[in-house]
Amino acid sequence: MRPILLQGHTRPLTQIKYNSDGDLLMTVAKDTVANLWYSHNGERVGTYEGHQGALWTIDCNKPSTLVITGAADNTARLWHAETGRQLHVWEFPTAVKRVEFSHDDRYVLMVTEERMGHKSAIYVFPVDNSTPEQSNEPIVVLRPSPSKATMAAWSYLDKYIVAGHDDGSLTLYDWKYEEVVRQAQAHDGTITDLQMWKDGTYFITSSKDKTARLFETNTLNPLKMYKADTGVNTATMTPTQDLVILGGGQAASEVTTTSSRQGKFESRFYHKVFEDEVGRLKGHFGPINTLAMQPDGKGFASGGEDGYVRVHHFDPDYFKFKYDY
Amino acid sequence: MAKTSWADEVDENELPSPEVISNPDGSRTLIEYRLNEDGKKVKSTRRIKNKVVQEHVNRAVAERKKWAKFGAERGAAPGPNISTTTVGEVILLRLSQYAAQQKQQEIEAQQQKEQEKTLAAKSSRILCRNCRGEHFTARCPYKDTLVPLEEITGASSAANAEPGTSQAEGDKGANSYVPPHMRAGAKAVDSMHERRDENPTIRITNLSENTQDDDVKQLCRSFGPIARAYVAIDRMTQLCKGFAFVSFYDHDSATEAIAKLNGHGFDHLILNVEWANSGGK
Repeated sequence: MRPILLQGHTRPLTQIKYNSDGDLLMTVAKDTVANLWYSHNGERVGTYEGHQGALWTIDCNKPSTLVITGAADNTARLWHAETGRQLHVWEFPTAVKRVEFSHDDRYVLMVTEERMGHKSAIYVFPVDNSTPEQSNEPIVVLRPSPSKATMAAWSYLDKYIVAGHDDGSLTLYDWKYEEVVRQAQAHDGTITDLQMWKDGTYFITSSKDKTARLFETNTLNPLKMYKADTGVNTATMTPTQDLVILGGGQAASEVTTTSSRQGKFESRFYHKVFEDEVGRLKGHFGPINTLAMQPDGKGFASGGEDGYVRVHHFDPDYFKFKYDY
Repeated sequence: MAKTSWADEVDENELPSPEVISNPDGSRTLIEYRLNEDGKKVKSTRRIKNKVVQEHVNRAVAERKKWAKFGAERGAAPGPNISTTTVGEVILLRLSQYAAQQKQQEIEAQQQKEQEKTLAAKSSRILCRNCRGEHFTARCPYKDTLVPLEEITGASSAANAEPGTSQAEGDKGANSYVPPHMRAGAKAVDSMHERRDENPTIRITNLSENTQDDDVKQLCRSFGPIARAYVAIDRMTQLCKGFAFVSFYDHDSATEAIAKLNGHGFDHLILNVEWANSGGK
């Protein structure tokens, strides 16, 4: 296959995301603009400009009319997707590390960083599709403890919020009642990514402890584990084939201290059920920071520390792959 | 201001206008001229064929395809901009059940190679020809005072060589090259070759390119114990070249394999199986 290279950023990528139809691709990096692309040909539709600091996260609602970004300038911003007009700014005491629309688009969760004496928190705000005016009053503020939250996602039916923590643990919140339902130690290192399966009943986490794992949402029971030989920055699940894709690599600061042979900057494909590695795809010349699967499963995109986004559309061979058992 | 020749002036300022030629097969040839970084004129000829691919998308997606560009792209022409969007090199994603095992084997092989290299480096140390010290001959501190050792020893060994040549060869010992068949233990190697040849071997041809060692082993295992299975792999592509050799311990199992497998369908191809050596052992 021939990947499409997108050079819209000057700094390492932090998150990329497809919209629900898979025709748009949103990318954010540690520079101050968010980019919007057509996923089929890599054409840049526009940029969302206004943030003053590194962008950490982006999401859009189901009809792709609203886009929310979170950044290190301690704000989250709401944008009109089609025109790039800024509609609203939420202000926080610290940086916003993750935003995500709920499945019904009525709420958005925002995870903030722990810094300058402020504790990390998960805010849930209402989002009104009909007007640009948005409420600055969170419905709920969850205070993760003992360790700060790095990732969070909505469960099925928006019933729970699952949070991944810096110490590798997971928490299941019944967010409407601000209650902790369950806590589990999932990883030995920071949780670097947490992506839900499309129906929200299970999810994949990746961690600096060189593994990615699959968990059931309701019970936080570990289901599967995928082992890599380097820290995993991101993991995603393919919707059509039973595969998961892991991205990672040695951090730039560690490269000089180890053998120069390989940086391990490949996306690794594992069988979802049998946990075996089935293939690798090279391309990036820095660690992969973020992976996103096209919702129809016909392609995926990866964003690296090298500032590039690579959009892959799978060859017919990929769809013929069968695992014998 | 320096006066320039009128001929140069014309050359520098006027680039021929781009040409578009429609070819009979429906493609177009685009000829463009531009100046490169060194100020030299470059002619680029591109042949373009447009292929219309129809895709059915839902209404919302079709609406979004008409969005006007905004932000940094405001007013830009439709279509990907080369400054932000380029097409990468072709990369191959080969998914295989045994990918992890293969990777492991490759890593182990590489580690072994590296070990051998370091061992070799250790054993070949620097030796001075003059004083047998551990430095280069040119750097020998006794360079001017000592006569090269070889001149003395070489002369004496030449004298010795006259009566018995075999003696001289023995003298040279580890330093000189001994062909493999004359080395100690060479017999054992030979006998191993013979034994391999003794095994009844069949040749399987018309294999698909995705075939691997294990596939062939699995295919032939049912006929009897296998001494050796070899699948020819192309070194460049890592794909099967289309043929394989399988040695059985037992003559009967080889015969049975030929009888059963010749004409057998395997991975969408019809196999051709025969004796490896035309005699048919």
